[in-house]
Amino acid sequence: MGLAQREVERAGIATIALSSIPDLTSAVSIPRLAAIEHPFGQTMGRPGDRDTQRAVLSAALEAMEEMSTPGSIRHLPFEWTGPMKEALAQLPVAPPIAGHLKWHPWELPRLLSRDVPRGA
Amino acid sequence: MDKIVDSYRYLRGVSKTLIKKWVKLEAPREIPWTPLAKPLSESTVALISTGGIALRTDRPFDQEGERQNPWWGDPSYRVIPRGTKAEDIRVYHMHIDPRYGEQDLNCLLPLDRLDELANSGAVGRAAPSHYSFMGYLLDPQELLIKSMPMMIEHLRADGVDAAVFIPA
Repeated sequence: MGLAQREVERAGIATIALSSIPDLTSAVSIPRLAAIEHPFGQTMGRPGDRDTQRAVLSAALEAMEEMSTPGSIRHLPFEWTGPMKEALAQLPVAPPIAGHLKWHPWELPRLLSRDVPRGA
Repeated sequence: MDKIVDSYRYLRGVSKTLIKKWVKLEAPREIPWTPLAKPLSESTVALISTGGIALRTDRPFDQEGERQNPWWGDPSYRVIPRGTKAEDIRVYHMHIDPRYGEQDLNCLLPLDRLDELANSGAVGRAAPSHYSFMGYLLDPQELLIKSMPMMIEHLRADGVDAAVFIPA
């Protein structure tokens, strides 16, 4: 995501990234980041929770307006409530790479180093 | 005390190991910077989701291609017009639970919330078009070389001043 953001910023459009993995998103040197500790699939908030969704979007936009230094990071104060079990629930279907590594575990180091097989 | 977001709170097992490794693969580089040209209350804002969201009437993201080659991900993008609702879309990202976004699109792409902020005057205007691509791409080259220039052209044509990237 950060690499795509860099392209848009470079093209002359101001950008900010929300991120629940700020360590990873900021690692590619992006202009503005608003960190949000929400689980995957519900970055803005739960279905139907308009107040939280609006507050998160507002907070990201306000951060954007206030940031004046490249590489600015703001940690938003939102706390996710509810059981961790729900936030960490298994996906309905495991992603293809997970199934692949189960049968080809020796390829895990390639994934760790993002050494993508060419023309695989 | 001020909140510090824990990057690893919702990661377990191999995923956690992966992200920690991937963070270390990156070295600092120059940071692009475009100042916001005008106040947000006068700016046109677009949203960009990495959820792999597409209109039901549009071409689906290529999930079968990723099943055939798990090292690959569909590097294309889709336009999601302002006013789109959950029943109009599908979420094709295979590394998140798509059900929340398919129940309420605002979980991933808060178009209704942006309209509300535009109506209240906090934001000048919601752009007519918003965007989505697949956030899990082990090799992002095609996204960066082919998809992003087209998206940027569209953002410019719509007079977008500010874009918010939202991960899935």
